[in-house]
Amino acid sequence: MRINGACACGYIKFEGDADPDKVWVCHCTDCQSSTGSAFRINIPVPGTSFRMLSGEPTIFVKTTAESGTPRAQAFCPKCGSPIYSTTVGDGPKPSYTVRVGLLRERDQLAPKVQNWFRSAQSWVTGLASLPRNEKAA
Amino acid sequence: MKVSGACQCGNITVEGEVDPESVRICHCTDYQTNSGSVFRFNVSVPRSTFRMTGEPTIYIKTTAERGRPRAQAFCPKCGSPIYTTSPGEGQQASYMLRAGILAQGDQLIPRQQTWFRSAQSWVTGLDAIPKKEKQS
Repeated sequence: MRINGACACGYIKFEGDADPDKVWVCHCTDCQSSTGSAFRINIPVPGTSFRMLSGEPTIFVKTTAESGTPRAQAFCPKCGSPIYSTTVGDGPKPSYTVRVGLLRERDQLAPKVQNWFRSAQSWVTGLASLPRNEKAA
Repeated sequence: MKVSGACQCGNITVEGEVDPESVRICHCTDYQTNSGSVFRFNVSVPRSTFRMTGEPTIYIKTTAERGRPRAQAFCPKCGSPIYTTSPGEGQQASYMLRAGILAQGDQLIPRQQTWFRSAQSWVTGLDAIPKKEKQS
């Protein structure tokens, strides 16, 4: 399916084609610290369809993965929104792991698997019973 | 309780005293975009105890439904979100720290969820989504 993304301030915009069956949640501790949240949600977009329409993200090369493989993590220099991660190096990449939270189609992109569940926050499976407010508290 | 944390690259460190009762998650659409995830996970730190090293970049968000601008701080080197607060010079009354960057994150249990009307439909059903201890 077609996906359209933009960061919070609108500086960065991109599009691509992605398979909704490949959406996953990642509970690894790196994803917790770089989202500031409890997990990340990702979808891979092949390099052949991924297109940046505006803006130039800042790249942070993360070297802390257990596998030892460095990853390039792109974020908006103006508002900080995370955009994607990919392999390190110059030029187009075979695949971009795009952050689902900034996609217009995110409501249609439910995750199919959860990785690194061993470091998941204990409460994430209990949100159905956590008190909720429809708007702000 | 005392909390401490750092962005992913270590450029920015924070510490402070928090009330564990103030931990919440927020499902608003601004937070979905700005975290790239589906909610934010916040804890409030009063100015009197908040300490920080490093210099975050500030983005002023003006899209809140109530029209109030908010200053959102992130690390300019690795992009990790750090806190949100009121805009303006100098120290602010309180800082909403992003709990995912804190070393004590696993002791901070959300007490409530806000903006649940925009929560992603699957978020209450994570227990039923297949889990892998590491990565496939």
